[in-house]
Amino acid sequence: MIVPDAHPWLKSGRFMLIAGMIPALLMVGFLVYLTVWAVVFSFTDLTLVGPKSINWSWAGLENYERMLFRRGFLESLWTTTIFTFFSAIVGQSMLGFLFAAVLRTQKSFLRSFVETCLILGWLLPDIVAAFLWASTTAKTGFINTLILVPLGFEPINFLNEYALTVVIIANIWKGTAWSYLLFVAVLDAVPKEVLEAAKVDGATPLQRTLRVTLPMIRQHIATNMLFITMWTFSYFALIFSLTGGGPGNDTKVLSILMYQQSFGVGKLGYGAAVSVGMMVIVGFLTIFYVRLLKEPK
Amino acid sequence: MEKNEAPSRLQSLALLFAAIIWVSPFTWLITTAFDNEANGLLRLPQKPGFDNFILALSNNALQQMINSVLISAGTATLTVMVAAAAAYPLSRIRIPGRNGFLWALVLLRMLPSTGVLVPIYFAALNAGVLNMVGVILALTILNLPFTLLLMKNFFDTVPIELEEAAHVEGATLWQIVTKIIMPLSRSGIAVIWFFAFTGAWNEFLFPLIFSRTEASFPMSIGLYAAFGQQGIHYGRLAAYSIIYAAPAVGVYFLLRRNMNTGFAGVGVKG
Repeated sequence: MIVPDAHPWLKSGRFMLIAGMIPALLMVGFLVYLTVWAVVFSFTDLTLVGPKSINWSWAGLENYERMLFRRGFLESLWTTTIFTFFSAIVGQSMLGFLFAAVLRTQKSFLRSFVETCLILGWLLPDIVAAFLWASTTAKTGFINTLILVPLGFEPINFLNEYALTVVIIANIWKGTAWSYLLFVAVLDAVPKEVLEAAKVDGATPLQRTLRVTLPMIRQHIATNMLFITMWTFSYFALIFSLTGGGPGNDTKVLSILMYQQSFGVGKLGYGAAVSVGMMVIVGFLTIFYVRLLKEPK
Repeated sequence: MEKNEAPSRLQSLALLFAAIIWVSPFTWLITTAFDNEANGLLRLPQKPGFDNFILALSNNALQQMINSVLISAGTATLTVMVAAAAAYPLSRIRIPGRNGFLWALVLLRMLPSTGVLVPIYFAALNAGVLNMVGVILALTILNLPFTLLLMKNFFDTVPIELEEAAHVEGATLWQIVTKIIMPLSRSGIAVIWFFAFTGAWNEFLFPLIFSRTEASFPMSIGLYAAFGQQGIHYGRLAAYSIIYAAPAVGVYFLLRRNMNTGFAGVGVKG
C-alpha cells in the first residue's frame, strides 16, 4: 500500500493514515454514485409521488426527446445563456477587472471604501439580495421614487416588465466582488518593470493595459471565466427567490426548470434528464476553458 | 504606481459615485428596519427605533436561527475534519492511483450541485434523513472535492524537514499531525471552515427540498416563506434580513487578513 520511500513516521502510522482517508473516499465515491444515478434516472419515468415513485419503469430516450422537441428545455437554455453571458462574462468579469485596475492607483481610504461596498453584496445571502432587489425595483421602490417619478416618468414595475434585466443586474451586483478580488491578486503579480519599460517606450495607459497587462494575465482571465461561468450557469437561489422563473417563463433558467419539473410537477425522470443536460453543457464549457488555459502563446 | 496624477480626482469621484450606486439597494432595507412604523414604502424612518429587531427575534425566528447555526457549524466542522484526515495522507504518501483520484476531484468540483439534486433527494428519502442531518451530509459531500484539493495544497506547503526533526526527537505520527501540521495550517483551515460555514449559512436549495416541517426551517427558508404570507410585516422582515446577513458579513471582515491566504490558495489550483 505504501511505497518504500515513505518516511518512517508515516510508515509506523499507516493504519491511522488509511483510516483517516476512509470517510473522504466513501463520500467522494458516493458523489460519483449519485452522478451515475442522475444519468440512470434520466432514462426512467420516475415521479415524486404516486405509483410511479416506487414502480418506475424504463422510458428509453423519451425524456431526452421531450427536452429537444417540446417547449421548455431549449427556451430555458437560451435564457440561461443570456443570463450567464451578460451577468458573468460581460458584467462581473469586466467590471471586476475595471475596478481592480482603477482602484490599485487610488489612495487606501477610497480603495477600502469601494472594496467594502463591492464585497457587501457578495457576502449577502441570496435571499436577502433578492429581497433588496425586489424592493429596489418595486413600483414604490428606490429607482421609481428617487429617480423616475421626480423626473416626471410613470413608475415602472421593473420585475414585471424587465425581469431578466433585473435578475442580470442583481447577479452582477452580487458577484463582481469575486472577480475583483481575483484580479487584484493577479494584477499585483504583474512585474512592474515590464509596465515601466512599456511606459518608457511611450505606450499610453490604454495601450499598456491592452497590449501588456491583458496578454500577461490571459490564463487568469480564463480561470476566472471558468469559475464564474460554471456558477452562473447553474445558479438557482437568487433568481428563484426574486422571480420564481416568471413572469411567464421570462427568467426560467435551467436550474429553475429542473427544480420545477422535479419537485413542482413531480417528474423526477425528466428533471434528472434536464440536470444531465446541464452537466454535459458544463462539461463542454470546462473543456473549452481548459483548452484556452493550456494553449501557449 | 505614480502614473496619471491629473485625472485622479475625476477618477476618485467616479469611483465614489459607483460605490454609492453599489450600496443604494440597501437604502430601503435600512430605513424600513429601523422604523417602528414602517409600511413598506421608501421613506425616512418616521419613528426610529429597534422594535422590528425585537419582533424579528420573537416567535419561531429563534428556532430558525438555531437551525441555521447547527446546519452551518455542522457542515463546516464535518467538511474540515473529513477533508483534513484525508488530505494529509494524500499530501505525504504516494499511494497508487493518487493522481487519478486528484483529477477526479478536479472534475467533481466542476459538477453543479443542481446536477445531483434528484438522486441526492432520493438517497436522503430512502435513508430517512430528509432533515437537518441530511442537509449537513449533502452539503459536506458537495464541499468535499474542493476542500480536499485546497487542504492538500496547504499541507504540501508545510516543509517535510519539520516532521523529520520532530521524528528524530521521538514524536509519534499523531503528535506530528496535532503539534506541527495543524498549528502551521491553522489560518488556511480557518478560511476553509469559514467558507464552508457561510456557504451553508446562505444555502437555499437543499434546505428547500429537505425541510419538511416548519420546525426544521433554517433562516433562509424562513425568510423565503415569510415573503409569501398574507399581510407582510415589512419592518420585521427587513430586521430579520439584517440579522440573517450579519454573521456572514461580520465573520468575513473579522477574518479578512487570513482570507487573502485562502485566495492565494484558490489561485494556485487553477
